[in-house]
Amino acid sequence: MAVATRPSPIAWLLAPAALVFVLFFVLPFGVMAVMSVYSSNPVTNPNAILTTRYYERFALDTAGIFHDALWATLRIGFITTVVSLLIGYPLAHWMARMQSRLGHALVLMAVIAPMLTGIVVRTFAWMTILQDKGVINTLLIDWGVISKPLPLMYNEFGTVVALVHIYVPFMVLTLTGVIGRIDERLEQAARNLGAGRLRAFVEVTLPLSLPGILAGSLLVFALSISAYVTPSLMGGTDVLTLPMLIAQQVGTSFNPNFAAALGVILLAVSLVIVVAYNRILARLSGEQGLA
Amino acid sequence: MTKTFDGRVVAVDGVTLDIAAGEFFSLLGPSGCGKTTSLRMIAGFERPDSGRIHVGGRDITDVAVHKRDMGMVFQSYALFPHRTVAENVAFGLRMREIAKSEIERRVKAALAQVALTGLETRKPSQLSGGQQQRVALARALVVEPPVLLCDEPLGALDRKLRQQMQFELKELQRRLGVTLVFVTHDQEEALAMSDRIAVMNHGRVEQVGAPTEIYERPRTRFVADFIGEINILEEGGRARALRPEKIRLVADGARVSGTVETANFLGGSTLLRVRSGDGRSFLVRETHAGERASRRPGDVVGLAWSDSDAVLLEG
Repeated sequence: MAVATRPSPIAWLLAPAALVFVLFFVLPFGVMAVMSVYSSNPVTNPNAILTTRYYERFALDTAGIFHDALWATLRIGFITTVVSLLIGYPLAHWMARMQSRLGHALVLMAVIAPMLTGIVVRTFAWMTILQDKGVINTLLIDWGVISKPLPLMYNEFGTVVALVHIYVPFMVLTLTGVIGRIDERLEQAARNLGAGRLRAFVEVTLPLSLPGILAGSLLVFALSISAYVTPSLMGGTDVLTLPMLIAQQVGTSFNPNFAAALGVILLAVSLVIVVAYNRILARLSGEQGLA
Repeated sequence: MTKTFDGRVVAVDGVTLDIAAGEFFSLLGPSGCGKTTSLRMIAGFERPDSGRIHVGGRDITDVAVHKRDMGMVFQSYALFPHRTVAENVAFGLRMREIAKSEIERRVKAALAQVALTGLETRKPSQLSGGQQQRVALARALVVEPPVLLCDEPLGALDRKLRQQMQFELKELQRRLGVTLVFVTHDQEEALAMSDRIAVMNHGRVEQVGAPTEIYERPRTRFVADFIGEINILEEGGRARALRPEKIRLVADGARVSGTVETANFLGGSTLLRVRSGDGRSFLVRETHAGERASRRPGDVVGLAWSDSDAVLLEG
């Protein structure tokens, strides 16, 4: 029947989202992909030629910094994700199982409140805490615990600390939704059948929350490998991530074509990782009957 | 035992129950009467504020849930959705670290017992409500608990299936000799299955007794009213309870005469609402053992009953 195949008139409500997606993702990415295979800007420079030189430059890495930057990006992303999960899961579980509505609202506020201040502000706050003359080092030296300041920032440690702080709410919000939908009585049934609290959690709630773990981890990983401000401020000269390298190529080296190639590489690598991760967890949860 | 929530709401107030081994014991009452809270205290999910819980002479009030060795069938079954039927049933055995071959043997036997052989590898979501109910039962019984707790286990089933499961559950309980504590708000279910019933209201036990006793000799107005149809007769400031089937329709010697207002045909019987001359309303059950009753609205009938059938109520 012709009527049945006609799209719902409500489908037009998707138009704004589709427009945003095309304007701010498909189009820029297309431009970036095109730029990455030209020697210079093909619009302004008629002599621009097709080339793979920027990809070769990254692959050969004669300066010895590009591969390191890629690994640092992925490492920071991975550690940030794992730490966010370890901090976020217990918090989300506690929130999801909270009986009192008021308590739930208060904790939710506490989780969301940091998101109301900008990333730059929060990163600066961490700088005042972690720097050599910051709160922690000053206190430890005053108490005589240490004699010279601990290297708490201008390195990957400081970067991860600040990134975790920024991205934990994303993890918590994603997980709370999923854990909240798991029937509490399942855990009670497990306990009734002879499982201690921890065992009941591991056997029942944890596997059933795998979809939330998957979604939250992907979100935090994607956000932290593309972070620019926090690694730049917290990492000092010790940390160079791919987004920082891209900014350098655009801002100080005036090489937008190489920057474009780096952007494509970052996207490709993270896509591969996301797909692989998705596959693994989907298989895990498929075995659990959740897929 | 007593349990309060938030320090205000008294959910269970001074309930004392003495349940015999091997007994089918029902906690019956409307929602919010404290029956489920009582069951959850026995299971260990709630701790009584005061009072103790003993099983077979052992005080288990402070024993952790997973060490109480009690089977439980939840209202919504609480089957593990990520595990197969066999894995669900095996769970309790696995927690008890029983050898794998032994687990396999017992799971098989338990599934055969509830007529689910062949469905081992299904997920709970692929089963019908009745089948899920059986899995929950098998999962609870496979560890051979001395006590089985059931929280409205048949509530989600349709009427026909519920009746069938009532027979099966009762039969299973008798065969295994397990002590069964059964929570329900369905008085018919409680009457049909139980050896004894505790009728609860507002956190208190109103009456404990065998089904016939509860039905025939209700002690309070609440019990009389909650179970089956009832006529409450007020005589000189005292209330008496009279079952509709204890009222006879007579031509001579009527205590009361009145007019039939409505006649509800129920299959095996007809329930009449009769309005007496002085404005009182009576429920009368006419059974159709012989020929069909022929009373119609508007008919004038005489009502009679014997004094011993009008049970004096407390309070």
